[in-house]
Amino acid sequence: MTPVTSKVCVVGDFAVGKTSVTERFVNNQFSGKYLSTVGVKIDTKEIELPALGVAQKLVIWDVAGSDEFGPTEFAYLRGASGYIFVADGTRPATVAVVEHLYSQIIKRYGPAPFVLLVNKKDLSQEWSVSDEYLDALTDAFGHVYRTSAKTGDDVEQAITRLAELIVDNDLRSA
Amino acid sequence: MELPPRVVNYLQDEFLSQARPFCFLIDEEYRLIEQWGYAGWCGLAGIEPAMDMRGPAPFLAGIPLTEVLELEFVETPGRVVVNVHVIPDGTQSYIVLLDTRHVHASIQTRQQSVNELRLMRASQDKLIDRQRDLISDLVETRSELDHHRRETERISANKSRFIAMMSHEFRTPLASIVNYAELAAEENSSSNDVQKSIETISRSAKHLTSLVEAVLDDASLDAGQLELREYDFDILRLFHDVASMMAPMAAEKGLSFATFVHPDMPARVHADEVRLRQVLINLLGNAVKYTVDGGVKLTATYDDGRLMATVSDTGPGISMDNQERVFEAFERGAGKGEKGAGLGLTITLRLVELMRGEVSLDSMPGEGCTVSVHVPVMAAEDGPVTRQEILPTPSDDTIAAKPLSVLICDDDVDMIALVEHYLHRSGYGLITSFDSSEAIAKALKYDPDLVLMDCNVPGVGGVAAAKVLRDRGYAKPIVALTASKLDDEQKSAFTRFFRKPAPMQELLSEIKRLTH
Repeated sequence: MTPVTSKVCVVGDFAVGKTSVTERFVNNQFSGKYLSTVGVKIDTKEIELPALGVAQKLVIWDVAGSDEFGPTEFAYLRGASGYIFVADGTRPATVAVVEHLYSQIIKRYGPAPFVLLVNKKDLSQEWSVSDEYLDALTDAFGHVYRTSAKTGDDVEQAITRLAELIVDNDLRSA
Repeated sequence: MELPPRVVNYLQDEFLSQARPFCFLIDEEYRLIEQWGYAGWCGLAGIEPAMDMRGPAPFLAGIPLTEVLELEFVETPGRVVVNVHVIPDGTQSYIVLLDTRHVHASIQTRQQSVNELRLMRASQDKLIDRQRDLISDLVETRSELDHHRRETERISANKSRFIAMMSHEFRTPLASIVNYAELAAEENSSSNDVQKSIETISRSAKHLTSLVEAVLDDASLDAGQLELREYDFDILRLFHDVASMMAPMAAEKGLSFATFVHPDMPARVHADEVRLRQVLINLLGNAVKYTVDGGVKLTATYDDGRLMATVSDTGPGISMDNQERVFEAFERGAGKGEKGAGLGLTITLRLVELMRGEVSLDSMPGEGCTVSVHVPVMAAEDGPVTRQEILPTPSDDTIAAKPLSVLICDDDVDMIALVEHYLHRSGYGLITSFDSSEAIAKALKYDPDLVLMDCNVPGVGGVAAAKVLRDRGYAKPIVALTASKLDDEQKSAFTRFFRKPAPMQELLSEIKRLTH
């Protein structure tokens, strides 16, 4: 089965765990050391979507953290089939950043499938995003996951769900 | 200035050695047409014409080949950092890769420091917020503690004052009782002295009883043990009784006293007569107590199932600060030198609340005081006689019609002597016992017409003795006469229950009724 190739961009504020989420998904690894990303890191992973009977090659663009997109970041997003928004559950402001970036992307490139990962679920003592807020986000955006790149909780499920959404979207567009 | 070829060549060499450009040409299907430069450094060694370049160069996936595009600092899966330039040329596109490792490393180091600093600041802000919250909680907790401490101190001071006051209040009538009893017992006392002593003893005992009842009522309300006993009764009679009781007290102080009962007041209502009477007596008693000039007025109206009783006086009034406190236990508004437990208004308020009613107070210093009580009260039809009405009037009704015997069991010699005195006078024969086990034996042996039983007595105790007597076939009345509080199950062991101190006339009437 020849996989369908899709470009997905991982976006969000700095130090929310975008690179860690990608590393967990692609290589099933985690490093606790924070290393800021400059520019964009590209990785690929092939997955199968048995429910849809397709294989998919995801080309994942892990974009440097930012609370505001400029021309450089928009250039990275060109041609993306979907987005992985990442926020930090211990820093509520990063969820607001995601909301802002989402509106910027929609304005620039139009709607596309996405999932929202509220990450660092393992830091339960420091978790500061209320369930009510997350429920409201789920109501507004749909696909919201509480994830932990450290333990792997819900990372694969969230990104696999995005892959399904992209295939659905492609089929509808075709 | 135009650069000489030598400089141009130098710059060109410098750029080529730093940026190590690698360029390849692809068609619109991303297939390689041809390449220029060394591909090894950027992980593209081995690419061949017609190869789909989105495989070895995944950053091309999704990239439109219709416009010039520059992508800075693209880190490939082979961990090489390049700047990617897409330069379309008709149906073909040139892709230029420039090595930016050195610049990227330098920016990354700077960016890392900046981000770590921002994280540290965010963490600091969070700590400061937490600290601020903790300080705010601490201040609030401290303020609450201060408030509780002041309340506790005030309550404790009130209780201390209450104990000191009650000590005085109890001792005064007790001293009268003791001294006048001694006086009456003196051999050379005239009959006039004895009569006067008895009157004083009786008055002091009543006062003592009212003090004890106030304290016990307050304790019962505290423990939630006070229950209303509602029945139909003549409310007009109640107002009349209360007015008859208060008018002489007001007159003694030179105060006017008036009662107005609205014509719409039903003649009979269904409520707790005893507690309603207590509420009115407390309010009127206070009004008379604290009023020096002028008068006291009781107004009673009835509307839509609610009774409103208003007591107004021309007394000193109560300041706003003290208006809430006068309903608290052991507070005595203007009570300098006044007698009482300081519980009257507390009990009044709690009794009214127990009746699902409200109390309101309207007063200004120097302008008297008006206290209104609103309670839901059902009007009653003219129906069966009330409990009060079936009580026989004292006098001849208490005399036994035929020779009858009563067994009295009590460990208090004085109480036995008192009951013995009254029962003898009423024509009853007496069997006495200080022990409940002995009382069982005597009752079964002599079969008295009635057993009068204290509960807290030596032996098996009064309640158990009554049950044993019933089990062994004693079928005549067993009446409890006790200072103890009994629950319904305990009361069921007895034919009737009297709480000490019981009005002797009422007790005798009941004994006669039960033995005939």
